[in-house]
Amino acid sequence: MKFSPIWSYIGGLAALAVLLVVPAVASNNYVVAVFTSILLFFILAALFDFNLGYLNIFNFGIAGFMALGAYTSALLSYHYGISPWYGLFAGGISTLILGFIAGVITLRLRGIYIGLTTLFLAEFVLFALSNFRDYTRGASGLDVSTFPDLFGISFDRNNPLALYYVLVVICVIIYSALHLIVRSRLGLIFRSIRDDQLGASVLGFDVVRYKLINFSVASFFIGVVGAFYGNYIGILVPTPQEFGISRTTEILTIAYIGGRGTLWGSLLGAFALIGLQEGFRIADEWRLVLYGAFLVFVLMVFPQGLAGGVKQLAHWCQTKFSKRARLDSVDSNNSQTKIRKDR
Amino acid sequence: MNLELLTYPVIVGQFFVDGLGRGLMYGLMGMGLALIFGIMGLINFAHGAFFMIGTYLMYTVAVQLGLPFPIGIIAAAVGLFCFGALLERGLISPLRRFMGENWLVDGYVMTIGLLIVLENLALIIMGPRGHGISSLVGGRTSLFGVMVTYERILVLVAAIVISGGLWALLRFTNIGRAIRATSEYPEAAMALGIDTRRIYTITFALGSALIGAVGGLLLSTYMAHPSIGSDVLLKSFIVVIVGGLGNVWGAMIAGILLGLVESYAQGIASAGWQNSIVSAIVILVLIFRPGGLFTKATTRP
Repeated sequence: MKFSPIWSYIGGLAALAVLLVVPAVASNNYVVAVFTSILLFFILAALFDFNLGYLNIFNFGIAGFMALGAYTSALLSYHYGISPWYGLFAGGISTLILGFIAGVITLRLRGIYIGLTTLFLAEFVLFALSNFRDYTRGASGLDVSTFPDLFGISFDRNNPLALYYVLVVICVIIYSALHLIVRSRLGLIFRSIRDDQLGASVLGFDVVRYKLINFSVASFFIGVVGAFYGNYIGILVPTPQEFGISRTTEILTIAYIGGRGTLWGSLLGAFALIGLQEGFRIADEWRLVLYGAFLVFVLMVFPQGLAGGVKQLAHWCQTKFSKRARLDSVDSNNSQTKIRKDR
Repeated sequence: MNLELLTYPVIVGQFFVDGLGRGLMYGLMGMGLALIFGIMGLINFAHGAFFMIGTYLMYTVAVQLGLPFPIGIIAAAVGLFCFGALLERGLISPLRRFMGENWLVDGYVMTIGLLIVLENLALIIMGPRGHGISSLVGGRTSLFGVMVTYERILVLVAAIVISGGLWALLRFTNIGRAIRATSEYPEAAMALGIDTRRIYTITFALGSALIGAVGGLLLSTYMAHPSIGSDVLLKSFIVVIVGGLGNVWGAMIAGILLGLVESYAQGIASAGWQNSIVSAIVILVLIFRPGGLFTKATTRP
């Protein structure tokens, strides 16, 4: 059940074209905002899936990691005047360090402990951010400076389209990096560990080291996305809605609905959920009910997610077409034999 | 930091009583979670939402209908027992059958979905306003200059009754023996004629009933509010991790410890920091004693 590679390239390019063109053509701040939120959730869900779908690492603190990246970038520019462009990297480095430490202490443990430790690390980060009031301004909110102009283009928050394209570039870089890793030998090792950890370690793979690589890479990118997110929303408040368990739930719902173990599935998940929620103008209180209900539904009925559905469809098409091709050839054979008999 | 407070014995005693009272509550909250994890291996993220339903049932029965409060607590327990049994039969048991041996991750993701649905449905149906009562039993007494409210004594009695009842149930009844057998070795239990599927349902319902009753009991401290569960969930997790995942008695002891730590930390450090201190402790426990502080080495097949 695999696409021929040409189709996946065409699909990828088509998706990229839609993402590049539609917001520019619409030139409507609302459409740009929707697409920005789709892309943000897509890339976060893909990073979540990079941990969960490829190595069974449950990062339940992804929102807290995001918060750390966002605050690192924002605090550096607030206190030391460092440009937010460098802040993107600084945010990534800070979460890389957190992820590395978290990985060293937890990745030797069983799955559920990893989930709980990352959850409490995220809580710890959030509590610390709201307690260091003198430095982070706590619950009163931290203003984030905008990106300075680059190549004569303004990246002010009044120009959301430019910010959106920054996000597109970030997403393309992150997605390509994840895709290359998943397709490389490293990705094969990841999957062998996921499918049979004991077997992989018997073959001589250092399971904890590979998990650490996976987790650190994802942590770095989560920090980068977090730093961008901070610049995008403009004010940071360490609330649970923004950086706590409910944000994590939204991300993991999109990853699950998209389909685990398929990075591109997250894009389908993000489009489906955010598109649905914007399309039907769902009131805010029903939004999370929808997320939860969808999550339960997908788990019960459709464990492969949307990506699994697309794969099945592709498989069905392939067998159907190839069957027709085979039947055609059988027909022509028959007709040839007939002709021969007639002779 | 005001360490000189700790030189006054009355203040130290007051912190102790406050911490003990709080700790008993945390222990009670953690027990249901520990029971479900210990028997089924499932981390129930909807635990806090069950607590929230318990508080609403208690409020409805004891305040709006004006019935005496023990009936409210019983109503909360019975309501949650049925709700838990339905959920297990309707969602968790089928998931376990579909997914085979690696259903656990999906199982707890499923309970996350439940948590989100229940919490937000409560927000839509009941509204964002909290409903509470000032106290179940009024009045207070003084022991050596330390203030003790009757409410705290009630919680102490309830903790003893509930944990004693659970102990007796697991220890002396047939159903309790079947539950313990299932948790130790499901295949062997099945071979001995125990319907493990039924045992799982009963266990989940029992854990839900426990947290429902606790929700009713603590209505005066934690008022009925749609998002009250998230705090309860966090505290239960802490208690269960420190006590050892699945260790029901460890949860009680860890709860008392947590209450004491919080109470003293709040007295000494400035407000808000007790949360950071507690989550740091949890992380340390997870690093150095991931099996919890009070777990004996156990062998599992």
